[in-house]
Amino acid sequence: MIPALVLFGYAIAAAWCLPPLLTLLTRRGVSPRLGLAAWLMAMASALAAAAAGLQSSLRTVAADWPTLTAALCRSVAGTACTPEVYRSAFYSAGVAALAAVSTAVAVVALWRYGRRVHRARRQTSAHADAAHITGRVLPGTGAVVLDDPRPAAYCVAGHPAAIVVTSGALAVLDQPQLAAVLAHERAHLAHRHHLLAMLTGGLAAAFPGVPLFARGAAEVARLTEMAADDAAARGSGRPTVVAALLALATGTVIPAAALGIGLSAAAHAVPARVDRLLHPPRPAVSAAFALALALVVTVLAIAPPAFVTMS
Amino acid sequence: MRGFGELEAVIMHRVWDHDGPVTVRDLFDELRGERSIAYTTVMSTMDNLHRKGWLDRERDGKAYRYTAVANREEYSARLMREALAEAGDTEAVLSHFVAQMDGEQSQVLRAVLDKLTGRRPS
Repeated sequence: MIPALVLFGYAIAAAWCLPPLLTLLTRRGVSPRLGLAAWLMAMASALAAAAAGLQSSLRTVAADWPTLTAALCRSVAGTACTPEVYRSAFYSAGVAALAAVSTAVAVVALWRYGRRVHRARRQTSAHADAAHITGRVLPGTGAVVLDDPRPAAYCVAGHPAAIVVTSGALAVLDQPQLAAVLAHERAHLAHRHHLLAMLTGGLAAAFPGVPLFARGAAEVARLTEMAADDAAARGSGRPTVVAALLALATGTVIPAAALGIGLSAAAHAVPARVDRLLHPPRPAVSAAFALALALVVTVLAIAPPAFVTMS
Repeated sequence: MRGFGELEAVIMHRVWDHDGPVTVRDLFDELRGERSIAYTTVMSTMDNLHRKGWLDRERDGKAYRYTAVANREEYSARLMREALAEAGDTEAVLSHFVAQMDGEQSQVLRAVLDKLTGRRPS
């Protein structure tokens, strides 16, 4: 068995089979940080195995090249065409083809990744600059206001980074809700979630159609939202974060008194992000999810080097 | 004061507030009443804004007369188009507090909220 095949097999299996499992474990955002670690480790694990497989196949090609060419020459010349020579030549030719295809895939993927990340960085910092120049400063917050009736709030990395709130958002948020929104955005910037978004976005562009990267990018984005929600909830309280979410989502003013009464009863109708703030999991459930995720992360970290040493 | 970037914003807002073209001297005279600032700082900032595509300029004798390439509302609209992904081709990485919901999702939410707050569905 060629080591390269084992490593590529693992990478492919990880890229197609891990997303459903990881989605199951991280969907509810029981532990956003461990969830992020699991998705990123899965990506790293698959990429490391594929890279090791590429290296291994190239090494085999380099070692077999003289025998392969000699065997081809002799078979064309019609002498010494024993079955052993044929078999060995077919084997070497197969490895060479595998190496060639995977090298091509790697080159294209690297090029796509680089192009995507380069563009994203340029456009992101241009957006931040333009927001700083165009927006009004919201006193005492470091955020800038853009005049637009549609409620929206977002942050964008740059030098310096910008937190943008529309006038439409200010119209539907009360002071505590605004503070929660700003805390959420500051948490994104402080934890450098934009770097994760660029990395996973680049990988999704590098390997289009591969579930681990396509779905992974979306799930990583969801988990960073949940992590930022938790940071905001620590300062503002969960109900305020929920109220701010609903206010911006619907463009409606949410009076503080509306929460608490029946919103949790109606929670089945609201998105998962709101649901988890309204119904935090019991400690035992959290611990079980955390344990499962920690186990997954460990296995994913160990697998590629284990395959390399085994073969 | 946030350094150079903040001055760019201040100067753009001044240019937008003027109806016609402005010179470095005009803005320097306005600004030095409010902060300690050197003429050359205003000049290099405006030069930068020109280089970055925010200001147009044309020579008038020894000085340049600057005008904004687009007004503030146009820039604001452009940013919002990019932010709300209407442009389609944007790859800027923005973290929204709330992702855009489709019509159905936001209707469901609105119905829930109307029930809770005792409002009639609109």
